[in-house]
Amino acid sequence: MNIENTDPKPGVVFMRTRETYYVQIGRERILCTASTKLKQEIVVGDFVVWDDKHRITTVRPRHNQFSRRAAGTGYQQQIIAANVDQVLIVMSVAKPRPRWNLLDRYLVSAEFAVIPALICLTKMDLVQGTAQREEIEAVASEYASIGYDIILTSTQTCQGIDELRSQIQASISALVGQSGVGKTSLINALEPELALRTQDVSHHSNKGRHTTTTSQIYPLPAGGFMMDTPGIREFGMWDMTEEDLIYGFPEMRPYQHACKFSDCSHHEEPGCQVRQAVMEGDISPYRYQSYLKLREDL
Amino acid sequence: MTQFTRRSYTAPGKIDGTDSDFVCHHCGAYVLANPVISGVNNRNHCPYCLSSRHLDLFEGGDRLSACRGSMRPIGLTFKRGHKKYDGQTELMLVHECQACATVSINRIARDDDVVALRTVLEQSAGLSPAMQEHLKAQGIHLLEATQSELPLLTAPAGLYTQYPEA
Repeated sequence: MNIENTDPKPGVVFMRTRETYYVQIGRERILCTASTKLKQEIVVGDFVVWDDKHRITTVRPRHNQFSRRAAGTGYQQQIIAANVDQVLIVMSVAKPRPRWNLLDRYLVSAEFAVIPALICLTKMDLVQGTAQREEIEAVASEYASIGYDIILTSTQTCQGIDELRSQIQASISALVGQSGVGKTSLINALEPELALRTQDVSHHSNKGRHTTTTSQIYPLPAGGFMMDTPGIREFGMWDMTEEDLIYGFPEMRPYQHACKFSDCSHHEEPGCQVRQAVMEGDISPYRYQSYLKLREDL
Repeated sequence: MTQFTRRSYTAPGKIDGTDSDFVCHHCGAYVLANPVISGVNNRNHCPYCLSSRHLDLFEGGDRLSACRGSMRPIGLTFKRGHKKYDGQTELMLVHECQACATVSINRIARDDDVVALRTVLEQSAGLSPAMQEHLKAQGIHLLEATQSELPLLTAPAGLYTQYPEA
């Protein structure tokens, strides 16, 4: 191996298409390609080095990665974001309706990846003055009591945008969430000059139209970077076992070793302290139900 | 203790073994949950011994309760609220959780054992005064044994397992 030919030019992949990779080094942006073998590995956020022909030769080891089980029948990993400081989980309070179980899936994955999670509820203007708003705020406070940071936002009324800006500055944040929840609209609200393409949700189904099709990193004027990712419909857990799953629920961890049986699944066993905590109101029954559903999927 | 908010957007839970055929925890009978047989969408108790399990928290089918306790039938009552069937209210089964003493009202299924229902009605007269007061406080008025002439309770066993005539 000729060391001189592997001249290290580390840069960050800030965008990729099917065949090409846009790599940023300092303020310079370079168009690169990669071998067929490496294509399977490279994701947006990776630190890479390339040769004189602008062909990526090495992917540097990642600090962290946020991944899911790839959609479809096979059992494969799909890395959504790499080398990020936090995951910004975006969920709309209406159009499309909130899926709290999906939010729990994101949170569990973030816990396992040891990446701090910030929850951002969007489209608050759509529930203004309704009973749904009270419900959303109450559920948000439940997540806050677990220890998660949660921000209620609206790009129409600019609610929560300044708070969000202060939470993400000087860091690399990956925006993840369902299609149509307003991930790209949030970036537009934070940096209007970008004027990224967005679309209304489908009037027929109230679901997103998958407008964003590739991941891309955007610099923010106040400092920091935002990684926009395509919306997804399903989020399967990757690299978890039934026994480990409870580590993804921080509020349940203190109870797990107090159960009567050391191999308690926290479902049916007598003397389960997790179930007892749910009944006594120390753990949300919805979070507990999410735990049971996730356990079934593993 | 925290009072968690009931979420209007959440679909009923579909946890394995809670919305399909099951083995009765009380009598061990294998119970079919098919609505064609039971006549109800949520088969929530054994048709033979009428026992149930404490699985729901806010509403039938939400599967949000972590109690999982055994629920025993303690009496019969009429459904509260609107009259669904030709101006008559529906006869309901009252269950009490043996673990946490929660009381719930459940629909009687088409294939529920009539003899077992009559037995529950007769035994409900022996409920403790404290329990009767507890039920009344929740607006649950148990049927008395003198009301055992209701059509459902006088029908021969097996009648309600047949399809109604068109």
